[in-house]
Amino acid sequence: MSGPMLQSCRTCRHGWQFQRAACPACGAQDIVAAESGGGGTVWSVTTVLRAPLPELDMPGGYGIALVTLDEGPRIMCRSAPGLAIGERVQVAVEADGMPRAVPAGSELEDAGSG
Amino acid sequence: MAYLSGIAVTAFGKHPGRGPVALMEEAALAALADAGLPRQAVDGLIAGYATTYPHLMMGTVMAERLSLRLRHAHQAQVGGATGAAAIILARHLIAAGACRHVLVVGGENRLTGQSRDDALKILAGVGHPVHEVPLGASIPAYYALVAARYLHETGASEADLAELAVLMRRHAAAHPGAQLTKPLTVAEVLASKPIATPLKFLDCCPISDGAAAVIVSAEPTGAAAIRLAGWGEAHTHQHVSEMPDDLGLGAKIAAAQAFATAGRQAEDMRLLGLYDSFTPTLAIFLEVLGFAKPGEAGAAAREGRFSRDGALPLNLHGGLMSYGHPGVAGFLAHVVEVVRQMRGAAGQRQVRDAPLAYCHADGGVFSSHAGFVLERVA
Repeated sequence: MSGPMLQSCRTCRHGWQFQRAACPACGAQDIVAAESGGGGTVWSVTTVLRAPLPELDMPGGYGIALVTLDEGPRIMCRSAPGLAIGERVQVAVEADGMPRAVPAGSELEDAGSG
Repeated sequence: MAYLSGIAVTAFGKHPGRGPVALMEEAALAALADAGLPRQAVDGLIAGYATTYPHLMMGTVMAERLSLRLRHAHQAQVGGATGAAAIILARHLIAAGACRHVLVVGGENRLTGQSRDDALKILAGVGHPVHEVPLGASIPAYYALVAARYLHETGASEADLAELAVLMRRHAAAHPGAQLTKPLTVAEVLASKPIATPLKFLDCCPISDGAAAVIVSAEPTGAAAIRLAGWGEAHTHQHVSEMPDDLGLGAKIAAAQAFATAGRQAEDMRLLGLYDSFTPTLAIFLEVLGFAKPGEAGAAAREGRFSRDGALPLNLHGGLMSYGHPGVAGFLAHVVEVVRQMRGAAGQRQVRDAPLAYCHADGGVFSSHAGFVLERVA
């Protein structure tokens, strides 16, 4: 598992997620990829009970959250059930390529028990 | 100067066996008849896209079907804001002297021309192909994320949002062309099937077949001159991941420009035609545009403010939520109803008097905004 990948401007230090050749803040083109530490705060969250594709449907639905990472960018993640807006979370990209958000601290418990 | 000279809308619901071109043709011919214009007078055409017929050149497809000889024809595509943006673009074509009469038309068989799964999949595709769509996000999920944030920031409740669905259903009951007319209660909205929390099935507009058309002209052609007095657009982002923290930013920018170019203010408006893809869409527009206090759109609806006899009647045809939503024609139906009301030709739905109206739509997830002020000048 690793942190979500971000783009970072070497000129003004602005950070964001989506691929771009120029910094959205200052326009400079000296961009580097940077791995997020994964810490963040839930900006919004929903549980999807009617998936856009039948193969994604699952009993009880699945969570999707927008998380504002500590580095600044807001990114979309799959989320653990029951997350609340304003809650501290840890985001990690899992083997299937999806970033998942879990309550901060709980990822350490998982590691300890596993 | 630009005037909305011709309007037409079909019934929304099911039109089995009829494709986008046939549906748009019906609306376009009816709008020409409404304007009292021969087809030779039309020299510009902006057609909406159709998910059931994703053609590269819908503008000329429609021009050929209608036997028009045009100086300008193309297909516009900014999601739900397409109709509003096309009307504003028609105004610009007229202001530039490029055209005299521009036909704006949209329509498709979104309900019967494809499976519901296909429709939802296409719509979900407005999300980011790498960072959003693969996570299983859908159009209701994108709006649910905004809705959850809206409820968190304002303290409004899901029952408050439900009031707006109830209001749209009540208005639709007075229109013979509406798709959904069975009376609805707040309790029924709250008890409907959850789609993406906090949105339930009845917080979402239906998928529909239908078409609508509006003709924008350099001079009025009928007895009542409805002038496009002010216009504004804002395109703040595409994907909800990059939406500004201020949920209403794009709407506020577009509306401020529309009111400034009209020389009017929000308080001057007497009638509204606002995009209502989901109940939170409508609540956010009403509040950030200054037509209700933050968090109080639902309460204001409950108290009758947006009813036919209220201070600020809203979507008197039933909106997307209950008249129906066949894509580009969805918001054009709002415009048709607003113009009909301003002309005093809405029959049993007629409001007292509406000399000034504001219309506004968004495309994507509050991504593209287009709004305009209409003023009756004769």
